[in-house]
Amino acid sequence: MLSRLVFVSANALKGSGPLGAGLVQASRSLHTSSQNLAPVPPLPEKGGKVRHGIFPEELFQLLYPKTGVTGPYMLGTGLLIYMLSKEIYVINHETFAALSIGSVIVYGVKKFGPSVAAFADKLNEEKVAKAQEVKDAALASLTQAVEQEKKEQWRAEGRTLLFDAKKNNVAMLLETNYRERLHMVTNEVKRRLDYQIALQDLHRRMEQEHMINWVEKSVIGSITPQQEKESIAKCISDLKVLAKSTKATV
Amino acid sequence: MVLSFFDQFMSPSYLGIPLMALALILPWTLYPKPTSQWISNRVLTLQGWFINRFTQQLMLPLGRKGHKWALLLTSLMVFLITLNMLGLLPYTFTPTTQLSLNMGFAVPLWLATVLIGMRNQPTIALGHLLPEGTPTPLIPVLIIIETISLFIRPIALGVRLTANLTAGHLLIQLIATAAFVLAPLMPTVALLTATLLLLLTLLEVAVAMIQAYVFVLLLSLYLQENV
Repeated sequence: MLSRLVFVSANALKGSGPLGAGLVQASRSLHTSSQNLAPVPPLPEKGGKVRHGIFPEELFQLLYPKTGVTGPYMLGTGLLIYMLSKEIYVINHETFAALSIGSVIVYGVKKFGPSVAAFADKLNEEKVAKAQEVKDAALASLTQAVEQEKKEQWRAEGRTLLFDAKKNNVAMLLETNYRERLHMVTNEVKRRLDYQIALQDLHRRMEQEHMINWVEKSVIGSITPQQEKESIAKCISDLKVLAKSTKATV
Repeated sequence: MVLSFFDQFMSPSYLGIPLMALALILPWTLYPKPTSQWISNRVLTLQGWFINRFTQQLMLPLGRKGHKWALLLTSLMVFLITLNMLGLLPYTFTPTTQLSLNMGFAVPLWLATVLIGMRNQPTIALGHLLPEGTPTPLIPVLIIIETISLFIRPIALGVRLTANLTAGHLLIQLIATAAFVLAPLMPTVALLTATLLLLLTLLEVAVAMIQAYVFVLLLSLYLQENV
């Protein structure tokens, strides 16, 4: 029966602002019901708003519809005056002591409050920043790893091109070598053949010369002395005639 | 009038029910319990930071063996500081003005340090009774003096705290009474007295914190000698 009460009240409290959320969280720790009050509302970040350091803002909101803005102040003043006049609160030496310690406290809070709050916030910020730094470092290293992996993949792609180029290179070298050797072979063969031709030419020339020599020799041998005298006499007569013709012309 | 000044030091009771337990439990209710959340609110963050720093500072001169006392000393410090500071509020009872409470803190803890020293390193513990470099004729006298000093320590611890706080509270009461009585008669003098009261209150705040710290510091010193 009580668990039903907790259910109903919890659901009503969940939406009712920071105080309600705090109560839901607190009642969860008591384990009075099964844990199905999810999603649990988040706890408030800052404490409740107060006016003049001690009076909660909800009091002012409560009294506003009936008594307006000055309502709570009138209530406070009235209460104070009532307690003083009826001597429910007696002014004695403790009042002075209370005033002095009160002023010390108020002065302390007003002067050092913001700096202390900033310090506490800084402690929390540093905690968050450290965790964030770890997360950022991990993210950065992972991104870098991805980049490097991509680069490696690109390099791997490029390797096939490299292999093709190398293959082509080697093929060209082989081709060049083959062509050179072919050239050399052709030259050698040509030399051999030229030699044969030269040999044949020489052969024919020698035959020709030999034949010419033999013909000359035989002709010269066949010239008899009679013919020689006749040819010489003819030459002398021709010369005389020529001399006569030239003498005439000169 | 004279009696009422010391009424504040009477152990509080209501209808015969002693309220001392209530007065002693009050500091516990003022400190929030650490949550399982990673980032807590400002109060909890500051509380955790202060306790960490204080324990670190206190445990610095002590070796590993002294670290067993960390919880005891830090919680004692927080307890005493809270009791002292709460006692400065008007109409509040300060438990640390009771000699019984302070002796109850001082004697067992001091005795524990002495017994630890005697048990683990008796030679060194007894050696503390003779400072280094004393001339030979003075040795017997000095041993007696050091023994007396050793046994006076718990009394000194307890009475120091009691006397400081009692005196402070009494002074506040007296000067506040003076200001109160003078207010209708001689307002200017009353104003001066009120200023004096303000300064005294500041002093009392400092004394409250310092006395608690001195109590715990001395205990850690005794531990350092003996651990």
